[in-house]
Amino acid sequence: MRPRHVGVLSALALLLGLPGALAAQTGTVRGRVVDATSNQPLSDVQVRVDNSTLGTLTQANGEYILANVPAGRATISARRVGYAVSRQVVDVPAGGTVTQDFALRVTAVTLEEVVVSGVGTATERRALGQNVETISAEQINQAAGVTSIDQALQGKVAGAVIIDNNGQPGGGVSVRLRGTGSILGGGEPLYVVDGVIVDNSSDALISISANATRDNAALSNRLGDISPQDVERIEILKGAAAAALYGSRANNGVIQIFTKRGAAGAPRITLSTEASQSWRPGDYELNMAPTAVHTDVVFGGASAIGAPVDRYDFQDDVFRTATGTSSQLAISGGSAATQYYLSGTWDDEEGIIRGANYGRNSLRANLTQQVNDRFDVTARGNFIRSLTKLIPEGEQSYGVISSIQFTPTTVNQGFDEATGRYRYNPILGPSIFTVIEDMKAEDEVTRFVGGLELSYRPLPSVTLRYLAGIDDYRQESKFFRPPLSMSAAFTGDITNPLLISRQFNNDIVATHTGSFGSDLGFTTTAGFRYTQDRAETIRAAASNLPPGTDLVQGASQSASQGRTEFRTMGGFLEERAAFRDRLFVTAGVNMDASSAFGPDEREQFFPRASASYVLHDEPAFQDAAPDWLSTLRLRAAYGETGGQPPGIYSRFDNYVNVAYNTRAGLVASVTAGNPDLRPERQREIEGGFDLGLMEDRVVIEATGYTKKTTDLVLSVPLPPSRGFSQQFQNIGELENRGIELALNTMNVQTPNFSWSTRLQYASNRNEVTRLVTSADTLQFGYLNYVIEGEPIGIFAGGIYARDGNGNIVYNSTTGLPVRGTDTLDVNGVATVFNARRIIGDPNPDFTASLQNTFTLGERLELGVLLDGRFGNDVANFSRRIAQYFGADKAVEREASGDTTARLYTLNLTRHLIYEEFIEDGSFIKLREVSLAYRVPESLVARANISGMTLRLAGRNLYTWTDYSGIDPEINFFSSSTVSRGVEFATTPLPRSVSLSASVTF
Amino acid sequence: MPTHRCMSGRLLSRLARAARGVAVVTLAGAAAGCDLDLANPNAPTQEEIITSFDGLVAVAVGMQDQYAATQDDYLIPNSLVTDEWGTRQLALASYTTLLTGLEIDAGYATIYGPWANSYETIRSANTILSAQVDLGPVFGPAMSSLAKLYKAMALGRLIMTYEEVPIDISVDAPVPQPRTVVLGTILTLLEEARTEINSVPDAQLSEYRRRVIGNDFDQANVIDAMLARYYLIAEQYADAVTAADRALAGMEEISYFSYSSPDVNPVYAISVASQYVASAKQWAREAEANDDRVPYWADTLVSPVPNTAEEVFALNKYQTQTEPLPAFLPDEMKLIKAEALVRQGAANYPAALALINEVREQDASAFDEPVADLPPVVLTTEAEFLAQIEYERRYELYMQGMRWEDVRRFGAAVAGEAPTIEFLPIPQQECDANPSDPCGA
Repeated sequence: MRPRHVGVLSALALLLGLPGALAAQTGTVRGRVVDATSNQPLSDVQVRVDNSTLGTLTQANGEYILANVPAGRATISARRVGYAVSRQVVDVPAGGTVTQDFALRVTAVTLEEVVVSGVGTATERRALGQNVETISAEQINQAAGVTSIDQALQGKVAGAVIIDNNGQPGGGVSVRLRGTGSILGGGEPLYVVDGVIVDNSSDALISISANATRDNAALSNRLGDISPQDVERIEILKGAAAAALYGSRANNGVIQIFTKRGAAGAPRITLSTEASQSWRPGDYELNMAPTAVHTDVVFGGASAIGAPVDRYDFQDDVFRTATGTSSQLAISGGSAATQYYLSGTWDDEEGIIRGANYGRNSLRANLTQQVNDRFDVTARGNFIRSLTKLIPEGEQSYGVISSIQFTPTTVNQGFDEATGRYRYNPILGPSIFTVIEDMKAEDEVTRFVGGLELSYRPLPSVTLRYLAGIDDYRQESKFFRPPLSMSAAFTGDITNPLLISRQFNNDIVATHTGSFGSDLGFTTTAGFRYTQDRAETIRAAASNLPPGTDLVQGASQSASQGRTEFRTMGGFLEERAAFRDRLFVTAGVNMDASSAFGPDEREQFFPRASASYVLHDEPAFQDAAPDWLSTLRLRAAYGETGGQPPGIYSRFDNYVNVAYNTRAGLVASVTAGNPDLRPERQREIEGGFDLGLMEDRVVIEATGYTKKTTDLVLSVPLPPSRGFSQQFQNIGELENRGIELALNTMNVQTPNFSWSTRLQYASNRNEVTRLVTSADTLQFGYLNYVIEGEPIGIFAGGIYARDGNGNIVYNSTTGLPVRGTDTLDVNGVATVFNARRIIGDPNPDFTASLQNTFTLGERLELGVLLDGRFGNDVANFSRRIAQYFGADKAVEREASGDTTARLYTLNLTRHLIYEEFIEDGSFIKLREVSLAYRVPESLVARANISGMTLRLAGRNLYTWTDYSGIDPEINFFSSSTVSRGVEFATTPLPRSVSLSASVTF
Repeated sequence: MPTHRCMSGRLLSRLARAARGVAVVTLAGAAAGCDLDLANPNAPTQEEIITSFDGLVAVAVGMQDQYAATQDDYLIPNSLVTDEWGTRQLALASYTTLLTGLEIDAGYATIYGPWANSYETIRSANTILSAQVDLGPVFGPAMSSLAKLYKAMALGRLIMTYEEVPIDISVDAPVPQPRTVVLGTILTLLEEARTEINSVPDAQLSEYRRRVIGNDFDQANVIDAMLARYYLIAEQYADAVTAADRALAGMEEISYFSYSSPDVNPVYAISVASQYVASAKQWAREAEANDDRVPYWADTLVSPVPNTAEEVFALNKYQTQTEPLPAFLPDEMKLIKAEALVRQGAANYPAALALINEVREQDASAFDEPVADLPPVVLTTEAEFLAQIEYERRYELYMQGMRWEDVRRFGAAVAGEAPTIEFLPIPQQECDANPSDPCGA
């Protein structure tokens, strides 16, 4: 009981009055930080006064200045990702300056690294019972050709499955942390930039992806607006235990991004520029048979089966070698009291399909002012403008890749001199070239992300932090199809949706640190958060367009408007006890209230607790342990988080607009409101250890977790006689269990050569444990299902009929395979048509990545990242459709063989045997290769350049896979929660190389 | 309630009072954020509707749309299980099962649709009838009357499609009621609706018509027609005659269900837009020679797809997007009266014969209705009368949703071909989700 008492006391000390200013007696600490092995200066080292919030970063020359340090004895620590922390005790003279230099030793992992940890205050990793991964700026920016932060995380976070939705520049990325934790809700994590909750929505404003009538998400997502070059580090809070601070919004985990800050010293100017090239990873192999098959005849490309034909492969005209440029100018510096970081970035990236383009300009200012020795103000602002020119894809009549897959190769879609137009496609309508050249699909985003942070230290032991953050953007989309584009009778149409989104969050966190004697330390944190999201969509559309305009003009115009507003409010309290700085126990609770829920269920409590035991600091352990055991820490954590319902107005019986007889009317939605809706609740237990061997040259981090999500919101059928068809209810349950392993080794470390390796492994098992009824099969997309007892999104569909020995049964007359049936009667005749059977699982058995980093001499660094997914199935619907329409190379067999059986073309039986198209989608990608050279300072010093780095990098250069399509990694259904693992009519991920130069003045 | 809602605010403000410097900013934030009771800005909710005059008016408009826009869901089984329609090549499997009566699956949307749509209309009617705001001396009785009319018509669609259907849907487990009970409810609703609409002088209804029903729907006249229709089905023949007489006398124009853009005539939707159904050739072939009502309804010169074996002709009526559907056709009243007279005894045969021949000999109309232009007939026995009335109804009331009920009432002996099924099964979702176990699982 005693420790808890002290905690309450320390909380009281915090709550009761803050004494007036004590007489300020401060001094300055300055010095230089170098690498202990190479003696090279280290920039961006965090230098801090322990037990206070005073801190700064070193400059390029390794120097730092810390002002306003309270006079007297102080412990100064220097930390950098990849190095062990170093601490020195100094005596700070009042009004004077003391010099303290540091030499940092490389380690594979460090427990002293400071993370924000999800309670909003900096904490050393050693004190945390939950696994928090940190990714540094170097890791983010070593692979060039990356425009989005989450792309840069690929292969670097154990337990994160990060998938590019498609290969278009500015295209979206989908992230799953420790599996999927919802069915109807979102699956993407919450993103927080410098404490500001940012929008990462991927609502499809225009129908140019997947299939508008199925599971449709946009081709882009909004995290892509944040420039990776401004990022200092990223913390990934994977589980409920870590993400508890964000309470009812954190079921999918949280990704916290911290941008760069200035450091006291002379202005430091960094200019970097990059040029890149990218190209398609392969060709769709098309039917180039000299004679006609069935589909050629059906669609008018030949007079008879077997007749000689001309064939067309337009891939070289559709794809291109794309170029991109990326430049950044950053200036940072400041005085002891004022630090600034200013940057501007310019990106322009072409897509590998002609016409696709992504351009982004971003300006950032991060300013910190120490008003006095107790009060800091930080203001951050990021203004972004991006323009994405998208190419329609997916199952659309105007999809570009679909135009290759849905069209027999005898169809000439090229220019017709006679009509002055590209020839129409007899299956889809528009020529592939009309789509590329004449249609316009654009997203233009103007965005401001910024925050104001106040930090006040009324007592050395008390910190109050206030943050107001805003993410305000306007997304202007456009989808324009000119007259005559779809068909000769088409009169043109245009849709111009405008999305205005504003998210505001307001946090206050108070922290008190105290101790009871020298052995027992306490940290009490209390906070309050308020968030408000508001989005408005205004959609203007027109059809029957006059020539020469791509604005909403023309004979027939329409407009609509929708608005959502969502608020959450919550408080939290956390108490951490530290015993001799090696045993840490933390307990806390969040109270969260959300406008999405009715008053009875509005307030939800999310408790959490964790423990961390740094065993190697225990003297008894040190005595007993062998010399080669340098680090051993045990940790465990429990936490609960929540998820918001699929619709934020689901608690109401809503009415929808109708018109009848030119009068405005209202009809009740067939979805009954549910005032008792609650958040989907996740409970997670994780445990693990950190093990360091041989002076931490080998470090193993292992974590196991099991998380159960209950109260999953599902659509429950109601008796239609009540006038409703369904209601959202908290019914479902699912579980994710998994392990995450990371092995870090410093293989070689000499002044002239070093080699380090990081191997990551993660496996996750998902199981849907409860649906509305145990017989329910919920279908998503084409073949993704949610079935009790199975992993989420499992594939189900038609199968081959097989005999008792498992051999495929063929029709004795036609020689074609027979589609499987569920039940045969006594005579062997099918009585129940088998609609579906489980045929595959898009969830990987495990993911793994291998990063090797070599340093050659003082100046050359080589990084190689291999990233793989294993044991996941991919539905190759690209092949399915290309065979159905006779475009696939396999159909050549039909041209040269049996022309009556129609093994592939328009063969509905085979087409519906989905089993045929499920393939092993395992792959290993050469995700990143990066060779960096630091130009000798002596060569560039004359130009006033203090440092220059040249880098040659490659991305996705090679893929090892048995998958028969071009790219097993992309997903037709973008960031959809359940519909995963379908490769269909989607731009493949390009291979790219880049050359960049970074110059510091 | 506010203190409850703002609990976290209070927690914070206690903290904030202590933390003087930051308190001001924080309190401002907390106060602004205190209200988590956000309304849906896109649409009103049930609570807002039943306490709002304008909201209820909008629901009255929406209720008419719910009924009118789903008439296809009612007609699909009605015209397919009888001899009115055939399916076309594009038709869904569920349509074909209705046509053949084989392998009908209670999970099909064609089984679900007529049931669910009718109950959605009934729920809107119940919302109007549970108004918690004074609608005044004109809108009050007029909207109540309209709600009862649509509720009665929706229940009518239900009993003409399913054998037993629930009436009270305010409970969690609505229990299906026998047909006679439902018919009683329909007639009570209609009589109340009649009393209510007639309590308002017609001169005062102009604003109500402008806002709610328009000028092409004569509410009192439709109520009388529906009374005639359901008194006949209920075998209350004297009442049927009285109501039919009132409906004929009060009729100035045909009352219509309207389909102004963006609504689409439902027959157009399934016959032109999606090309699922067309007129069964058998229906046209079995007509008397030169019955002018056949070409009014169907184009017997055009098979939908030349040179195919489809057993259908193109429809000729309701083939444009905005064409309205009549609430009832005037000759239905004459034929109801004729049938009710015949069923009351031989004394009424001369009057009935006169009505039948009026229908047959009509060769022109001021209204948009079919005219037979046929010679008069002479009938003597009840069986002859009923067979003739059945014939006239078959061609006069083509695809008006009456055929299935007619075939059941007259019996296959009179009506020729029996329907492929007697009634639709109760939809699977109702069986699964209704705790009253309506399907006797």
